[in-house]
Amino acid sequence: MVNPVLLIIIPLGLALLIPLFGFISVKILKYIPFLALFSNLIISLKLLPEVYREVIHVSIGGFIPPFGINLVAGPLGIMFTTLIALVGFLVSVYATGYIKEGSEEKYHILYLLLLTGATGVVLTGDIFNLFVFYEILCISSYSLVAYFGDKAGIESAVKYLIQGALGSSFILIGIGFLYGLFGTLNMADIAANISSAGTLPVFIPLVFLITGFGVEAAIFPLNSWLPDAHSSAPSSISAILSGLAIEIGLYAIVRIVFTVYDASGMFSFFLLLGVITLVIGELCAFSQENIKRMLAFSSIGQIGLITFAIFIGSAEGITGGLFQLVGHSFGKALLFLTAGYMIYETGSTNISSFEGMGKKLPYTSLAFTVGAFSLIGLPPFMGFPGKFLIVKAALTEQDIIINMLIAIILIASIIEAAYFFKVVQVIYFKGESGSMSRKRKTAPLSVLIPVFIFAGLIIFTGIYPKLLAEVLEQPALELLHRVDYIKSVIP
Amino acid sequence: MNIINDYIYYFGAFSLIFIGLYIVLVKKNLIKVIIGLSILDTGINLFLITVGYKKGGTAPIFSEPGLQASEMVDPVPQAMVLTAIVIGVAVLALALSLSVRLYKHYGTLNLRKIKELKW
Repeated sequence: MVNPVLLIIIPLGLALLIPLFGFISVKILKYIPFLALFSNLIISLKLLPEVYREVIHVSIGGFIPPFGINLVAGPLGIMFTTLIALVGFLVSVYATGYIKEGSEEKYHILYLLLLTGATGVVLTGDIFNLFVFYEILCISSYSLVAYFGDKAGIESAVKYLIQGALGSSFILIGIGFLYGLFGTLNMADIAANISSAGTLPVFIPLVFLITGFGVEAAIFPLNSWLPDAHSSAPSSISAILSGLAIEIGLYAIVRIVFTVYDASGMFSFFLLLGVITLVIGELCAFSQENIKRMLAFSSIGQIGLITFAIFIGSAEGITGGLFQLVGHSFGKALLFLTAGYMIYETGSTNISSFEGMGKKLPYTSLAFTVGAFSLIGLPPFMGFPGKFLIVKAALTEQDIIINMLIAIILIASIIEAAYFFKVVQVIYFKGESGSMSRKRKTAPLSVLIPVFIFAGLIIFTGIYPKLLAEVLEQPALELLHRVDYIKSVIP
Repeated sequence: MNIINDYIYYFGAFSLIFIGLYIVLVKKNLIKVIIGLSILDTGINLFLITVGYKKGGTAPIFSEPGLQASEMVDPVPQAMVLTAIVIGVAVLALALSLSVRLYKHYGTLNLRKIKELKW
């Protein structure tokens, strides 16, 4: 058995060693994230079948829970670490060619710290430890948004930082309340005692925690930072922020609402929030001229859809939500990476400047189209089974409100299709076709390899959705069966 | 008067939190907003300490033979505050260095005037 603690130690240790490696040679630095995440990927894949049989617990420092900090490597946690390692690995391949200006060393340190924070959040079983890892993730993403140091980057980083810091403060207040009530920080221990306290005293920290994590999860009233930050960051970072960071915020909310609180009374509130987030995201995305802003708003829409699916609250709903989450991670990372390369080639972020790209950069355009079609939900791509599972789960609920909401979601999907088709049309069918001045160009391997692996994964899972859906069933059950989670930590 | 005596630290902590929130939400100058964040942080730290505080309690070390656990303050919130202070300092340092760069680009720190990015 591999110790899950390695998933945190390897990237964290390598991140802090990067300045030392810099003394040997500056050229090897860009391969270090690549190495760390590859080893994370191997460990996660090796742990995956093991945790499906039995949840692995690690007590740091030998303190038995509820004392000390414990790691809980359950199916949900390891599924997330696999996703983080896979997307992080492919994006780090892309970054070896993409990050050329500025201080490379700092980029790679912050990049590894970001992914360490994300991995820590999904593995930890201690609510204060969750806050600490969450802060590692947030602080490194603030600085990475400002990496180029240009006008837009700095402005959006300041916006992101102020809102993020307020959110983190709220989380800390919520944790303080919880500790005052229960005298423990262990999530399973809090969950076991939560019903013994009154409704109002436990409701106040819940509101603080949801507001705080909602900032990172970009749920509707708290998401004004997202379009700026995601569009001004370097494209490789946009891919990580859109593909992983907001999902981590959502994970924290889901973990607290499902496992710690068992607050099924809040589900309808989240269903409504999810649909509002979806509609607002898609409507704003429709009117954008800037490709990266459009993709960022589309992320808001997708996170709304995932929130809706998870808070249907049935096993099918959560499986569908997690499927859509994985699909969004792959699809949005692919779109940001390809769009990033097209922006690099044209020097403009405007959608109209992509005219004739279908001839100029055929492979990149093809991959972009795969990602766009997947997010719209066309078969045979990954988005289709995702949306199909969600609609199916919603219809089996036989709840008139959920059925009405799913109608709104389908209308919003049409808006989504409209703006993605607009971009695909510009890429392939606009611009003078006869001119030979635009030479065909092949993207470098550091772009093509990750992009084609993402596209391949999207098509493969689209054709065989059952493989992934079966893997995601156990994590969904982990969320629903909170008593098993509590019992496995505190026997 | 008893209530005030018992909960005086909570009152202090939450007034600091609300003062900090007010500054962050209302002030236009970025430096003032950052100061507001700092006050908010201080309020939260005071709140956390108060959660584990005990009047007349000693440090949680079994230094004398007769010392009971019930006479000690709770050490966990103190450890949390230590971590929270470090995180707060990191955020503040990053915020201040970003505001230096922001001033170089725009020549002003007035947040109402810095709005190139819009929905």
